[in-house]
Amino acid sequence: MESSDAALVGRVLHGEVNAYGALVSRYRDKYARYAVHMLGNREDAEEALQDAFTRAYRSLARCEDPERFGAWLFRILVNRCRTSGARRVRRGQTFVHDETALLNASQEHPAEQTMWREEIDRALGELSADQREAFLLKYVEELGYDEMAEITGVGVSALKMRVMRACDRLRVLLREVHSG
Amino acid sequence: MAEWGRTTLELLVQELQAPVRLDESFDRRVMVRVRRLYAERRPRGVAGWIAAAVGITRRPAYAAALAAGVVAVVTVGMVRSRPQVVAGGRPIPVQFVLVAPEARSVAVVGDFNNWGLGDTALVAENHNGVWSVSAPVPAGVHRYAFLVNGKQWVADPTAPRASGDDFGQPSSALVVEASAE
Repeated sequence: MESSDAALVGRVLHGEVNAYGALVSRYRDKYARYAVHMLGNREDAEEALQDAFTRAYRSLARCEDPERFGAWLFRILVNRCRTSGARRVRRGQTFVHDETALLNASQEHPAEQTMWREEIDRALGELSADQREAFLLKYVEELGYDEMAEITGVGVSALKMRVMRACDRLRVLLREVHSG
Repeated sequence: MAEWGRTTLELLVQELQAPVRLDESFDRRVMVRVRRLYAERRPRGVAGWIAAAVGITRRPAYAAALAAGVVAVVTVGMVRSRPQVVAGGRPIPVQFVLVAPEARSVAVVGDFNNWGLGDTALVAENHNGVWSVSAPVPAGVHRYAFLVNGKQWVADPTAPRASGDDFGQPSSALVVEASAE
């Protein structure tokens, strides 16, 4: 039977460091998706995710509700993605395509899937970081606005506005691609 | 091109919700970092911390702290409210004091004791509702908090709040300056 998050956290806190590996395996792929879409490339995403896991371990005793370790970790990851994104802006790098996702997409319907995927990546990259974050949390991670507010520290009204603007922007960007 | 609408949004979301898979080398890389942290911060235990603090001159801060009704951190070394990192030197004894008459237990957790990970929390002694504990803290800027009743996280209201806290719990900033020797 699979151990609960709380049980694993408890074991780690009692010095069983290897139990943390089970938590890493449990949340690795789930949260990689958010990081890849948020940062636009796998390298930065993996770095942000590694950083989040490491920080979570270092502060595990501060996880108030171990049963919700995943939510707590996700909050850390969202912050790491913000930091990583800001650093990239300072370095002057732009949002780049997720080459691996493009490769995966091309396996089924090579031309159409790859084009559609490129359009999506490009459109996401055109959004501001705030809008992209809100859009991904709402529609891809399927969080409620209250959860989003808890994770981001941003008010519900502001988040709704960001999601709405993200949708408006995506609508324009994707329409431009198709009509261009 | 289909008009932007629910269908297009659904297609967009469907594409973005496709799994992103990382291989097991990712786990190994994370665990290398984690094990390194574990090795670097292997629990010393409360007894070790207390023993290391032998020779500390405790200041009679209890009465004043009680009168103020607040949490206080008193250091035998120097604690400044403005961050100032002074690297090197031996750890400086720091006395942590919390006024919490209703508390059943109080401990101090911070980055200097791995946030209590592996039973390293500094367990405070109760003196009529004034809880105190001393421990050597390395010179530098630290974050800490009081852990009340084993679960309630309490920042020190008399100390600056630590900035950049992304763990969802309040913490305070502690600056310890190296001794002049």
